[in-house]
Amino acid sequence: MTTTLEKTETMSKPQGGGLARRQNFATAIILGVILAWVFWFVARHLFWQGSDNFSDQEAVMTGAGWMIGFWIGIGAFNAPFQWLVGRDNSHDDNMYYAGKDLGRARYWKYTTDHKVVGVQYIIVTMSLLAVGGILAMAMRTELITPGTHFVNQQVYNGFIAIHGMVMILALIVAISGPWANFVMPIMIGARDMAFPRLNALSLWTLVSAAALLVTVLAVGGMPVGWVVLGTIGDQAGVGMDFFALAIVTFTVSTTVASINNVTTILTMRTKGMTLDRLPIFVWGTLFTSALALYAFPFFFIAELNQILDRTASTSFYIAAGGGTSWLQANLFWLMGHPEVYVILIPSVAALFEISTVMARKPLFSYRTAIGGMAALTGLSALVWAHHMFTSGWAPTLGGPFMVTTELISIPTGIFFLVLVGTLWRGNVWMKSPTLWMFGFIFNFIIGGVTGIYLSDVPLDEQLHGTMFVTAHFHYIFVGSVLFGAISALAYWFPKVTGRFLDETLNRYAFWLVFIGVQITFGAMFLSGLKGMPRRDASYSFAFEHTNFISTIGAYIIMTGMLTLLGAIIHSWRKGEASGPNPWHANTLEWQVPTPVPLENFDVDPIITEDPYHFDNEEPVHV
Amino acid sequence: MATSSKSSLRLFFWTWGILTVVFVLIGIFIPHRYMPGVMSNDANLALTTTILFTICAAPVAAGVYAGAIHILKHHRYRGDDVPPAAPPIRENTKLLVTWLTASTVLTVFVLVWGLGALAAENSTSGNPLVVDVTGQQWVWTFSYPGTQVVSNELYVPDNREVEFRVTSEDVTHGFWVVNFGVQVDANPGVWTTIHTTPDKLGTIEIRCEQFCGLNHAFMDAIGHVVTPKQFSAWLASQPARV
Repeated sequence: MTTTLEKTETMSKPQGGGLARRQNFATAIILGVILAWVFWFVARHLFWQGSDNFSDQEAVMTGAGWMIGFWIGIGAFNAPFQWLVGRDNSHDDNMYYAGKDLGRARYWKYTTDHKVVGVQYIIVTMSLLAVGGILAMAMRTELITPGTHFVNQQVYNGFIAIHGMVMILALIVAISGPWANFVMPIMIGARDMAFPRLNALSLWTLVSAAALLVTVLAVGGMPVGWVVLGTIGDQAGVGMDFFALAIVTFTVSTTVASINNVTTILTMRTKGMTLDRLPIFVWGTLFTSALALYAFPFFFIAELNQILDRTASTSFYIAAGGGTSWLQANLFWLMGHPEVYVILIPSVAALFEISTVMARKPLFSYRTAIGGMAALTGLSALVWAHHMFTSGWAPTLGGPFMVTTELISIPTGIFFLVLVGTLWRGNVWMKSPTLWMFGFIFNFIIGGVTGIYLSDVPLDEQLHGTMFVTAHFHYIFVGSVLFGAISALAYWFPKVTGRFLDETLNRYAFWLVFIGVQITFGAMFLSGLKGMPRRDASYSFAFEHTNFISTIGAYIIMTGMLTLLGAIIHSWRKGEASGPNPWHANTLEWQVPTPVPLENFDVDPIITEDPYHFDNEEPVHV
Repeated sequence: MATSSKSSLRLFFWTWGILTVVFVLIGIFIPHRYMPGVMSNDANLALTTTILFTICAAPVAAGVYAGAIHILKHHRYRGDDVPPAAPPIRENTKLLVTWLTASTVLTVFVLVWGLGALAAENSTSGNPLVVDVTGQQWVWTFSYPGTQVVSNELYVPDNREVEFRVTSEDVTHGFWVVNFGVQVDANPGVWTTIHTTPDKLGTIEIRCEQFCGLNHAFMDAIGHVVTPKQFSAWLASQPARV
C-alpha cells in the first residue's frame, strides 16, 4: 500500500463524489475570481477612504480572495475538511485523487500522483518562461536604439521586475519541479512522495501565485526592479501589493515542496538504497531542498513587512518612521543569494546524472561531487551582503563577505572537475542532452569567472549596478541553468511521454540558443564595462552598438526557444517511440515501464550497488 | 580511441596553451578599449584588477575548454548504437589534489589582492575636500560645506582627496562617478560616504545605478576635474544661496 492510502485503510465510508469530484482548474479560476470580487467588495466598505481609487488595502484583500478562492476551487481543502468532520477519504477517494482512470483530466486537477505533478510542473515552467520571454523581447526591442520608441519608460519600468521575478520562479522550479517530482521518487524506489497532498498543494499554490504575479502587468506593472528596494517599493502602485502577496504565497509553495523532498529522500528509500548508492541527482535535490528551507522564509518576512508598510502604517522600510531600506535589502539577499544555488544545484546534479549515462562511465569522484554541493549549500548562506557592497551598509563587512564569496569558487571548480572528469576517456554519446551539457560547460565558465570580478569590493564599486552584472547572471541563468534544464528535459522526456524529443529540431534549437546567448550577453558585458547602468529604459549614444548587437542576439535566442517549443509539442504527440530505457541507464526510473504505472513498482526493488556500473563490452544494438 | 594518448594529450596541452594566451590578450585588450576614461586612483585600480583577474582565470577557463575539446575530438562515440562501457575510473587522487590545490591557490591570491586593494582604498589622507551629494527624483545636487555653493554640476580639484557624503531626499539612489570607479547608495535619512583622489583633468560622468522610478535612466550629471586654482575661482564665482 502506498503512503497515500495507509492512513485510510480503516476508514470505510465511501464518498459519493459529488461536487468534490468535479473540481478542476476551471472551477478554481471561477471561484478565485468570485472570491476576489467578494473580498474586494468587503475591503471597499471596511477601508473606505473617500475615493474610488483601488487602494492598497483593497488590493491585498482582492489578492487574498483570489488565492483562497482558487485553493478551495481546486480542492486543496477537501481532504483536511473531511478529516475535520470525521469523514476521512476512503480508499476509492484516494485512488481517485491520485488520478486513477481519469485519463488526461487528471492533469487539470488537484492530483496527488507525483508523476502528474511533475508533468504539471513542466507546463507551469514553460508558461512562466513564455511570459518572461515575451517581456524580455519587449525590453530588448525597446533597447535596440537609444531613446524610448517601442514602449515608453513607464511601461518598460513596469516590465523589468515582472520579467525578473517570473524568470526566477521559472528557474527555481525548472528542474526541481518536473524531475524532483516525476523522477526522484522512482529513483529511490518509492511509490510516491512522502506527502502526496502537499505535493499537489505546492504545485497549485505556485499556480495561484504565478497568476497573481502576471496580473501585476494589468494593474500598471511594478516599476521597482525585482529586488524591490524598500523605499521605491513604497512608492509603487497596487501592482506592488499583488507582487508581495504572490511572493508570500510562493514561499509557502517552495517550503512545502522542500519539506516533501527532504522527508521523501530521508525516509522513503527502498531496501539497499544506502546514502552512498544514492543517484547524484537525488543528492542534489536534497541539498537544494535543505537550502530552500533556509532561504525562502526570509523572502516571506521581507514581503510581509512590505505589505504591512503599505497597508497597516508600519514603517519597517520607511526612513521617516524610523525604518530603513537596508532591512529590506538584508532580508531580500538572505534569500536572494541562496536562491541562486537553489536554482543552480539541481541543474548541475542533473547534468552529473546525464554525464555518466552518456559517457558510459561512473561519476568521477562521487564523494567530491557531494562534498562540493554540500560546501556550496553551506557557504551560500554566508555571502548575501556581497549584493550590498556599495549600499553603504556596514562598510567594514566588505572584507569578510569578499572572503566568503570568493571561497565559493572552490566548490564551483569541483563541478567542472567532476563533469569533465566523467566525460574524459568516456565513450561519449553525442545525443542532444550531451550537446546542451557541453553548452553548459562553455557558458558556466564565463558566468563563473565574471562572478569573481564582482566579488572583489574595489572592482564592484565600478561594476555594481551595471549591465555587466546583468550579463554575468544571465550567463549563469540562461547560459548554464537553462541549458542544464533543457538537457534534463531531453534526457527524461522519453520517460514521461514514451517518445524521444526530436533530435534534429533540438539540435537546431541548441545552436540558435547557444549562439544567441554569446551574442546577447557577450555584448552586454561590453555595455556594462563601458558604464551602462541596469534597468535603464534609455541610454546614451555611447552604448548604441553593443545594445543593438544584444537585441539581435535576443531575437536569435527567441527563435531557438520557439524551435524547442515546436520540438516539444511535435514530439509529445508523434515523436519516435523510445521504449522504457532508451539510454540504457541503470537508475531505477528507467527500469519501470513507460508510461510509469500508478505507484511505480509492482514489487519493491532491492538495491545491491550504485547505478554507475556500465558493464557491456560491446555496443548495444537498438 | 581513448588509447592514442600521447599525441592526443599533446594536442590537449597545445589547445590549453593557445587558449590561455588568447584569453590573456582578450583580457588586456577589452578593458583598455571599453572601460570608461580612468580619472582617479580607484578607477585605475578597477582597470588593473579587471586585467589581473582575467589573467588568473585564463588558464583555468582554457584548461576546461581544452578538456572539452579533447573529449569532443577523442572520446566521442561515433557509432549509431548505444556505446559500450568506458573504463570505470571512479577516483584519481592526484588529479583531485592538484585541482583543489590550484583552485585554492588562485582563490587565495585573488583574495589577498582584493583585501590589499580594499585596505588601500579605505585609507584616507586626512584632509579631504568634502562634497555633500543629495539625490532626489531625478536630479543630483552638490554642495560644498563651509561655503554656500550649491550646484547641479560637480567641480573637484585634481590631486586632492575628495570625500562624498551622500544622502537622498526620497527613495534610494545609487551615486556612481563613472570615471572615478566609485559608487555608493544615497539612502533617505542616512549619510553614506566614499572617497577617491582624482588624478586627471577633464569631464566626468555621474549616473544613478539604483532603480529610482520613472526617469531613472535619465538621472545623470556632469562633473569636472579642474586645477586647484580653477576650482577656487569657480567656487568664488558661484552666487551665494541661503
